Amino acid sequence: MNKSNKIINILFFMLIFSGNLFAQSATELEGEFKLAPAIILIILLVTFIMVGFFNRAKDTKTYWAAGRKISPVGAGMAIASNWMSAASFLGMAAVMYGSGYHGLSYVIGWTGGYVLLLILMAGQIRRYGKYTTADFIGDRYYSQGLRGVGAGLAIFISFSYCVGQFAGIGLMFKWILGIDYAWAVIIGASVVLTYTLISGMLGVTKNMQIQYVIIIASFIIPLFILTYKFGYFYWLPQVGYGEIISDIVNGIAPGKGLSSLGHDFAILPSPEFAMPWDPATGQTAFQWIAICFSLMIGTAGLPHVIQRFYVVPRAKDARWSVVWGLFFICILYWSAPIYSAFGKILSSNPEVGVLAKDAIVVYTAQLGDLYPLIIGFLAAGAVSAAFSTVSGLLVAGASAFSHDLYFNVINPKATEQKQMLMARVGTILMAAGVAIIALLELGLIAQLVAVAFSLAGCTIFPLFLLGIWWSGSNRTGAWAGLIAGGSVALVAQVYFLAGKLGVVLPYHEFIHYYLNAWYFAWLGAPLAIISNIVASLLAKEKTPLEIKKFLAEKVHNYDVS
Amino acid sequence: MTEHERYEVNFFRPISQHAKANKKLISTLAIIWAVAVFGFHFLLIIITTPTPEQTLINFNSVWQQVVEDSSATHEMKQVFAKSLLMVLGKNIAVKEEHKSVLKESLSWSVYRMQADSIKPFYKTEPNSETIKGAIASIGLSAEGFDKIMRDLLPSSLVKVENSALSEKSKKALPEIMELYLIHNQSFLTDFKFLGFPFHYWYTAQFLLILFVLLCLTYAVLIDRMNREYEFIEET
Repeated sequence: MNKSNKIINILFFMLIFSGNLFAQSATELEGEFKLAPAIILIILLVTFIMVGFFNRAKDTKTYWAAGRKISPVGAGMAIASNWMSAASFLGMAAVMYGSGYHGLSYVIGWTGGYVLLLILMAGQIRRYGKYTTADFIGDRYYSQGLRGVGAGLAIFISFSYCVGQFAGIGLMFKWILGIDYAWAVIIGASVVLTYTLISGMLGVTKNMQIQYVIIIASFIIPLFILTYKFGYFYWLPQVGYGEIISDIVNGIAPGKGLSSLGHDFAILPSPEFAMPWDPATGQTAFQWIAICFSLMIGTAGLPHVIQRFYVVPRAKDARWSVVWGLFFICILYWSAPIYSAFGKILSSNPEVGVLAKDAIVVYTAQLGDLYPLIIGFLAAGAVSAAFSTVSGLLVAGASAFSHDLYFNVINPKATEQKQMLMARVGTILMAAGVAIIALLELGLIAQLVAVAFSLAGCTIFPLFLLGIWWSGSNRTGAWAGLIAGGSVALVAQVYFLAGKLGVVLPYHEFIHYYLNAWYFAWLGAPLAIISNIVASLLAKEKTPLEIKKFLAEKVHNYDVS
Repeated sequence: MTEHERYEVNFFRPISQHAKANKKLISTLAIIWAVAVFGFHFLLIIITTPTPEQTLINFNSVWQQVVEDSSATHEMKQVFAKSLLMVLGKNIAVKEEHKSVLKESLSWSVYRMQADSIKPFYKTEPNSETIKGAIASIGLSAEGFDKIMRDLLPSSLVKVENSALSEKSKKALPEIMELYLIHNQSFLTDFKFLGFPFHYWYTAQFLLILFVLLCLTYAVLIDRMNREYEFIEET
C-alpha cells in the first residue's frame, strides 16, 4: 500500500469518527456553526494537500511529464474534476429549482460543447503543439499583439469564471460557519488562496482523480437515500427520478413521508417545473436556445479546458480523454436535476421560507432529513468542487500573467525567480479582485459562470475554429473578429453592470433580452467569425507560407507532394 | 498552382483523401448533434400549444360572478378560493407581488363566505379561529390536495381591509391566474417514458447519452481513419 493510500484510509476513519462525535440536528437550515461539516471539509483539504505532497514533482520536467504518464481514463477523471465546479455542483440544480426546464439549457450547454470540442479541436490542438491559448493565438496569427490580447483574455475569462466559484464557496462557508455571506466570502477566499499557493506545485493530476471520486460520491450518495426514503426507484436514482418529475406535474398527495421540518412530502400540481419555457418562469424559448448555444461554443473556447489537451502524450489520448471526461461529467449532470426536483417538493410549504437557490442542493439534503454526516460530506464535496476549479483557474490566470504577458510581451529578460514572483503576485491580486466582485452578488452561480463562457465563445472560440480549419484566416481577420466579438461582449457587460447599478441606458429592455450577460455569444460568436472571414478576404496580406505548410502537413495530414 | 494555393487548408475544400474522409465524418456527427439538440427544440416550439390547467378552467367559470355579481353561490365562492390556493401552492414559482394579490383576493373571498356576525373577525390579523372558519367555509377535507391547501391557509390569509375587492386586484387577478396556470404542452410533453414526460427525458437523459456516444464514435472512427491513411499524428 503506498503512502497516499494509507493517508486516505486514516483520514476516512477520522471522518467517520467525527461524524459520530458531532452529529447534529439537520432541522436548523442555517445560522449556526456546524462542526461535523467543518471537520469533514478540513479533512478533505488536508487530504488533497498531503496526497499532492507525496506525489509532488521534483522538477518542472517531471511536473509536466506527470500529466503525460496517465491513462486516458485517468486523464478523463482529471478533465471532469477540473470541469466540475460550484456551477455544476450547486448552480445547475439552483437554476432548475427556480426555473424548471429552463435550467436544462445549462445541462445541455455544458455537455454538448464537448462534442464540438472533440470533433473540431482536441486532436488538432494537441498536434499543433503549443502550451497555452495565447501561444497558439500568437503563433498561428504571427502577432505579439494578439498573443498579449490572448493572454489578457485568458486572465479575464478565468477571472469571470472564478467569480461564480467564489460565490459558491462563500455560500457553503456561510452555511458551515453560520456567519454573514460577506465574511464567508472573505474567509473562503483566504482559505482557497492559501490552498492554491500551497498546492500549486504539488501533484495536480493525482489530486484531480481523487477529487473527482470525492465530488461524485458526495453528490450521489444522498440521492440513493432520498429516493429510497420517499419510495422511488432507488437502485438507479438517475432513472428513478422520472416518476418524481411526473409527480410534481400532477401533484403529490400527503402520505409519502415527512420533511425534517415536519411538513408532508407533498405538492400541488406544478407543471411549470417541467414544461418547456413556461410563462411562470419568465424564460422564453429564445433564451433557452441562446444559453444552450452560448455555453456550447464557450466550452470549446475556454482556455483552461483547451490547455488540458497540451499535457497528454498523444493526440489520440487527447481525444479519448475527452470521451472519458464527458462520461464522468455526465454522471454528475444526469444526477443534478434530482436535487432540484426533491428541493421543489420539500420546500413547497411556505413555512420553509425563501431559500438561497444556490444552496438548494444542501438544503434539499437537510429537508430530506438525511444523516448530518452525509449532509456535511455533501457540503464539503461542493467546496471541493469549487476549490479544485478555482486553484486550477488561479494558476492558469497567474501563469498567463507571468509567462504570456509579463515574460513574452513585457519583459523577455525576466529571470525565472522574477517570473515565479509575478505568478504569485498575480494569483493574490486575482483572488482579491474576484472576492470583491463575488461580494456584489450579481447573479446566480450558474449565470455568473455563463458570462465567462460567452466571453470565450465570442473571442477565443472563433480564433481557434478558423485558425485550425482555414489557413486563409490571417492577422487582420483575427483582429477584426476579436474587435467584433469583443464589442458585443462589451455592450452586454456595460448594460448588465449599468442595470445592476440602477442606471437605465437607451434600449435597455431590448439589450437586456437579446444581449443578456449570460448568453450574448449567440450573436457575438457568429459575428466574430463572419468579421474574421470578411476581413481576411479583404486584406492584402496572406498567412505566412510556413504556417500554412505546418497546418496542412502536421495538423491535417494533407499530402501535397 | 502557387505554393500558397498548394498548402491551402479549408474545411469545405479538402485536397487530400484523408481530409475528405475527415470532413465527411465531422459533418455527419455535427449534423446529428445539431438536429438532436436544436432540431428537437425547434420542433417543440412549433408543436407546443398553451394549455390551461383544470384549475384555470374552474376559475374562469366562476370568477366574474364571484367578483362582480353578488348572486354567486357558495359553491362558486369555494371554487374561486380553491383556485387561488392552487396557485399559492406553487410557492417558489410565484412572484411576491403576485402572491400579495392572490392573498388579498383569497382573504376577501373567505370573508364573503362568512355570516355577517362573524365577518368582523376577518378584519383583524388571522388567528386559529378565523383559519378554522376559512377551512370550513372553503370545504377543505383533511386528505389529499385539500390537506395541502389547509396547510397553506395560515400563511395565505391576510387581514381584510375592505368589504369589496380592490380594483387593482380585480384587474390583475385574471392575468396572474393565466400566467401560472397555462403551460406549453403537446404530445411530446404528455407522453411518458421511464416515468418522465418524454421531452424532459429526451433533454435531461437522452441528449447526454447521445453526446457521449457521438464522442465515442468519433474517437473510434478517427483512430481507424488515421491508421488507414497512415497518419502519424505526433509532431
